[in-house]
Amino acid sequence: MLKSKTFVKKTRAGGVMKIVREHYLRDDIWCGSEACRECKQESTVLQADACIESNLCPYPHYVVPDTNVVLHQIDVLEDPVIRNVIILQTVLQEVRHRSAPVYKRLKDMIQAKEKLVYTFTNEHHRETYIEREQGESANDRNDRAIRVAVKWYSQHLKADGLKVVLLTDDQGNKEKAEENSLVVYKFDEYVKNLTANPELVDRLALSKDDKAEIISSKVLFPEHLPLSKIQSGIKSGTFLQGTFKASRDNYLEATVFVQGDGAESTEVLIQGLQNLNRAVHQDVVAVQLLPRNQWVSPSSVVLQDDGAAKDDDMDEDEEEKALRISAAEAAGKPTGKIVGIIKRNWRPFCGMLNVSQIKESTRHLFTPADRRIPRIRIETRQASTLVGQRIMVAIDGWPKNSRYPNGHFVRSLGSAGEKGTEEAVLLLEHDVPHQAFSQNVLSFLPKMPWGITPEDMVKRQDLRHLTVCSVDPPGCTDIDDALHCRELENGNLEVGVHIADVSHFIRPGNALDKEAANRGTTVYLCGKRIDMVPELLSSNLCSLRSNVERLAFSCIWEMNHNAEILKTQFTKSVINSKASLTYAEAQMRIDDTNKKDDITESLRGLNKLAKILKRKRIENGALTLSSLEVRFHIDSETHDPIDLQTKELMETNSMVEEFMLLANISVAQKIYDEFPDCALLRKHPAPPPSNYDILLKAAKSMNVEIHTDSAKALADSLDVAKVDGFSYFNTLLRILATRCMMQAVYFCSGMDSDFHHYGLASPIYTHFTSPIRRYADIIVHRLLAVAIGADITYPDLMDKHKQSALCNNLNYRHKMSQYAQRASVAFHTQLFFKSRGILNEEGFVLFVRKNAIIVLIPKFGLEGTVFFDSKDKAGPSLVFDEEGPTLKVEQTTFHIFDKVKVTISLDDSNIQHQKIRMALTEPVIPGVSVAAPDVEPQAKKPKVDH
Amino acid sequence: MATVKVSEAEKVYILHGIRDDLRVDGRSCEDYRHMEVETDVVSNTDGSARVSLGHTAVLVGIKAEIGKPRPLVPDEGYLEFFVDCSANATPEFEGRGGEELGIELSNTLYRVFNNKNSIDLKGLCISAGEHCWVLYVDVLLLQCDGNLYDAISVAIKAALFNTKIPRVHMSSDDEGGKEVELSDDPFDCVRLSVENVPCIVTLCKVGHRHVVDATLQEKACSVASLIIAVTHRGTVTCVKKVGGGSLDPESIFEMTEAGKRVGKALHAPLMKLLQQEESLGKKREKVGFLG
Repeated sequence: MLKSKTFVKKTRAGGVMKIVREHYLRDDIWCGSEACRECKQESTVLQADACIESNLCPYPHYVVPDTNVVLHQIDVLEDPVIRNVIILQTVLQEVRHRSAPVYKRLKDMIQAKEKLVYTFTNEHHRETYIEREQGESANDRNDRAIRVAVKWYSQHLKADGLKVVLLTDDQGNKEKAEENSLVVYKFDEYVKNLTANPELVDRLALSKDDKAEIISSKVLFPEHLPLSKIQSGIKSGTFLQGTFKASRDNYLEATVFVQGDGAESTEVLIQGLQNLNRAVHQDVVAVQLLPRNQWVSPSSVVLQDDGAAKDDDMDEDEEEKALRISAAEAAGKPTGKIVGIIKRNWRPFCGMLNVSQIKESTRHLFTPADRRIPRIRIETRQASTLVGQRIMVAIDGWPKNSRYPNGHFVRSLGSAGEKGTEEAVLLLEHDVPHQAFSQNVLSFLPKMPWGITPEDMVKRQDLRHLTVCSVDPPGCTDIDDALHCRELENGNLEVGVHIADVSHFIRPGNALDKEAANRGTTVYLCGKRIDMVPELLSSNLCSLRSNVERLAFSCIWEMNHNAEILKTQFTKSVINSKASLTYAEAQMRIDDTNKKDDITESLRGLNKLAKILKRKRIENGALTLSSLEVRFHIDSETHDPIDLQTKELMETNSMVEEFMLLANISVAQKIYDEFPDCALLRKHPAPPPSNYDILLKAAKSMNVEIHTDSAKALADSLDVAKVDGFSYFNTLLRILATRCMMQAVYFCSGMDSDFHHYGLASPIYTHFTSPIRRYADIIVHRLLAVAIGADITYPDLMDKHKQSALCNNLNYRHKMSQYAQRASVAFHTQLFFKSRGILNEEGFVLFVRKNAIIVLIPKFGLEGTVFFDSKDKAGPSLVFDEEGPTLKVEQTTFHIFDKVKVTISLDDSNIQHQKIRMALTEPVIPGVSVAAPDVEPQAKKPKVDH
Repeated sequence: MATVKVSEAEKVYILHGIRDDLRVDGRSCEDYRHMEVETDVVSNTDGSARVSLGHTAVLVGIKAEIGKPRPLVPDEGYLEFFVDCSANATPEFEGRGGEELGIELSNTLYRVFNNKNSIDLKGLCISAGEHCWVLYVDVLLLQCDGNLYDAISVAIKAALFNTKIPRVHMSSDDEGGKEVELSDDPFDCVRLSVENVPCIVTLCKVGHRHVVDATLQEKACSVASLIIAVTHRGTVTCVKKVGGGSLDPESIFEMTEAGKRVGKALHAPLMKLLQQEESLGKKREKVGFLG
């Protein structure tokens, strides 16, 4: 039967359009119940004996949640206890329309076989389809459609002794359903009566009535404007739209990034609880600028919201006042207030419970691990078990008369401080996709046993006879590069870089490819690796292990002995690596003059060329920067770190690096020549001169001059910067210089004009050499393969907008993986110091702040802050000179690069944010420094600065 | 215009018949052929009607779109006409064959209907000088068997009656920026008053008399015809002579009087029919094009 659906829509141009869709009704949509004898269905989803232990519905029944129940209570619905659920198409469509994340979870739930969820396409069922009536709103129509479907179901299954229960939180809907003599309950009513599973109650999102009783009637926040007003305000320019970024250090301060036209974007400062107006980190908000005379500048005060649960009457007034006074000193930045929320970006947050001091209370405050997220009020009966655990909580809403947002408990991750738990937390907090690969993804893997087929050989060059070897860090299982070097008959050298041919296995557009594109990169944590591609590929088929035949993408140069490239050739190939070496092993072979085998000779050749290449590169102005990387020696049984040392660099490290750079540059040039519009490249923008201020000031204090006009000038002046008797000075300078740099990013050549790579002093650069662990390299492989005619292209590869979107994701994933990596190192450092007690170490002042110095301990590559003021007692007199910069504490003045001695210990007073505590022991300042170890440092507030 | 070949003998027969007020198909001079009207036949228009008159069949669809008012009349909306002479109607329309006729028809229709005495054009204005409704009236000729004007005008009147324009209002903010806001209830719409919308009566001078609703054969015997737009009160809003022959003032007067009479009589049953159809609502049985 044909019906048509008509609706009127406003077009983007401001016109009004009438849209008519054909809508077909059918009579062959089955009910999905096992008990049903009427429907001619082949397979059923819902059980005949659908029983759940319940006081309310002791009889077998199916539940039908309405849209709002699904949207708000998905956490409960997802629980395995709740089965035999009917999801109506009306509900599915509405959920899809209103929340993409919930829709995805709902779809996952429907797909999970053991959940027994049946989707009933009531909108196409002849007897349950209804048309919108005159004067009926869209919501009312949908509610009615749900009731009609439930009615149909209950009559349909009556003979089979099954009931159908409608779950709704909408009072009006409930009453109407009761009029139609349907079985209907409120969702919390239903869940509270599930006798076997009292823990589900905690996960209930607060419904509106509940919220009303918690909060005082006092209105704390200004009302948010409705969306229509916000939109017209943004159009007329009264409001600005931007992403809300809360400050990490000050809970009363935030910035809103407003994307302007083109590259222009501004930052609006928001200060004070009222002006922040319930915005949460990452929300898209509308801001109204305050009049210019109310503009302030960001305060440099660190404020943490760590008092006990505040009873909504704001005693923050004083804190705010303090904030204003300090802020009023300098000239103001654009300051505004939040007038409305355009899009909430709430996700479940990790954190810990602060148990309420009132006994028997079920309401508690939850402190998220991310300091930018406000504390959340949740209701739980299992507070005593949740204490000391890392838990996840979702926000349900933030009424205008509540100091904190309301939320509910989602799940527990495990005890705080345990390695597994902390790892899970840092992956979740850095948005690293770390679930196991789905079956769908794994289905695209090659079938084992895998071997090279004759078809593979047709298009490939057979390089199995070459003496190829790989050099990697110890314990590396995902080997994506191998090298060879041999002398040609004409006296020139042939050098080959062979990269794992991942794009042979990962075909564009399939689930495996999409998953890899989403993950973007492999994330290396201490002692753990989160793969971008399934292990079969990363550690086996793509890994260029020794003495097995592997597919490769080779870049082969003919060079003379001065390392000048005479010829470049790219080809898909088959190789057979003769040895997988570590850096140290390779170094030993090169140094051992007795060895004369092919591999060693090849390595020597490579090493010789690499040295020339490096020299040339440095002459061109490439920077050698420094950052301390640490390596943990991990106990093989407990997996706890037992020792820690800074990574050592050997000649062979730089040898491999040189050839990788060369390959990347060659490939970048090739794909850019071939595809000027859609080559995926990597650039490193030159930093703005102001970034160097701190470096220049620091150098000046030691009477060393640094030139920053160009990369070359910087490199040269860093090379000559030396201070007698201070051998570590140069490294420190380089560490500082690293901090001045910009982030290197991927981009699509058609969308940008500046290609320069500042750090490498190369006009063009890309990533080609690690396709196992970086998705960008896979794209580059595909581009190169198309360029040399080894593979076919596909539309998305040539679409610069899609590529640009991909680049954005890759850049985001890279950034997050770096943060996760650092967080993992920090956590392991803490574990390490936990077992060490208090240590006394030598370090250098790296930065000077208003109320603290930041100290670097070279031995551990550890950076920490020594605070000189404290909240509870009068601090020493502090004089900060911005020009130096120097900080005078009592009589002692601290400069950058000063050598100090500090005690290091683990401060686990706050289990959620364990931190390394540093306290000064030398120079001795009475009342500030502490005596050498074994003495508990005084109450300072140090923290690790990552 | 579609033509038929009529022999001299046939002509004489037709002429003599008309002289005696008895036409070939048995009608008298001021009778219409059997007429069928059905509204709401095309769902993706805002108003539509199908009219068949004898073997002549036309379909009218009206689309309402938001446009800018004409500068001379900033507080009025307007109508636009397009007549598509489909080759379905007659093979002569194939290619660009129907173009000339189409333009002639649409120009005439524009003159007849697009004035504020026929339709409340002010009511189509949303905000003066900025936004107004433009009614695009699309006429499709499905079959030609004479008297196109009358059939089209009845169809347009029926389609206008059927037209439902979504209700909009202007929202304005403090800055003076205005925007069209749409009601989210699809049933919330405005109807047009068609009370003063005229119908066209074409009178063909055949011999010394004139006939309404001439068939193609009668048309072939006529040298000139007069098209007269008449409202339900009998007010003549437009008169136009078509055809190569001449008309003397006396017969023009006579024809106008006859036109008024016939036109007045045409309006009443049409409105009755339309209202009856409307009152049936969804229960109405749709006939469509195959019925």
